[in-house]
Amino acid sequence: MNERNEKKLKELFEKFVGGEQAEQAAEDIQKGEQILREHSSPEPDGGLIANIKAEIAAKLLHKKEKSFRWMAYKMAVAAAFILIAVISVKLFETVPERPAGDLTAQKAIWESQSLADETLTAEMEQIESDMLAMESGENSGNGYETVTDLEMKLIETNGDFWKG
Amino acid sequence: MAKNNDLARIIGGCKSGDAESFSEVVDIYASRLYGYFYRLTGDREASDDLLSELFVKLVEKISSFKDGSFESWLFKIASNIFYDYLRGKQRQKKSFEVRKRQFESEVTEAKLSSNERIDKLQTQLGRIDTDTRELIMLRFYSQASFKEIAAMRSEPIGTTLSKLHRGLKKLRELMEC
Repeated sequence: MNERNEKKLKELFEKFVGGEQAEQAAEDIQKGEQILREHSSPEPDGGLIANIKAEIAAKLLHKKEKSFRWMAYKMAVAAAFILIAVISVKLFETVPERPAGDLTAQKAIWESQSLADETLTAEMEQIESDMLAMESGENSGNGYETVTDLEMKLIETNGDFWKG
Repeated sequence: MAKNNDLARIIGGCKSGDAESFSEVVDIYASRLYGYFYRLTGDREASDDLLSELFVKLVEKISSFKDGSFESWLFKIASNIFYDYLRGKQRQKKSFEVRKRQFESEVTEAKLSSNERIDKLQTQLGRIDTDTRELIMLRFYSQASFKEIAAMRSEPIGTTLSKLHRGLKKLRELMEC
């Protein structure tokens, strides 16, 4: 320890203890550190230093590989995202518009169904009027046969109705 | 010892992952750090392991070094590694006193069992408590200022000064016996 450092150490101690005590403390530290200087510690083995350097190099390589893998992963995720986005846009663009003919066909089906309903209603009305005529005695001839005919017609109409 | 500009360049190189810069750091600090570990453990094999562990940690942690004294930062890591090692050893023992005595005797036995020269200093250091011994070695090998050492140990500078003074005084007395 040089003289300047010794003086600085004494000044530092003076902040906590009196002048004489500070001088003694600085001297104790100086002498204690002198003992440490006189007894040098062993040096690390050359082989150990070489191993440490090799270990550091391996660690750095591993670190670089890891960061490269992470970068590649991030790029792959970004590429996949872009690809999905492009495919989605393309799909959206190529969705076929509904042809006008479809609507016409639906309308036709609806109308034909309506026609069938009208026929059915007309038949039921006819049966109803026949029944009323028979009840009021307007219908002459064999009453039993007439009733059977009407029943048959009614069953047939009913069957048509449930068939759609 | 590397000049400040050189050290800044080397640290910059380490941060960018340059193996050569790390090699330079090893060349500059290995000897002092080895001395620090050896004086605390008294065991060459343990010191070898701790030194290797320190430099591997350095590679992992270099990006967290911002500014201030690199030596203080490096020795702070060394100090943490030493205390981790000590805790690992202590976990194997039952009571604190038994642990301490066994650890201290192991320090001496390790030296006695090998054919190394048994230096008196190492034996006497074993008679000083671990905390004070670590402080003495931190001060001696890191060459950090008292202010930096106090900051490293998270204690007031007055406490650091007082502990170091008592420790070195005791060491001197033991050496003179």
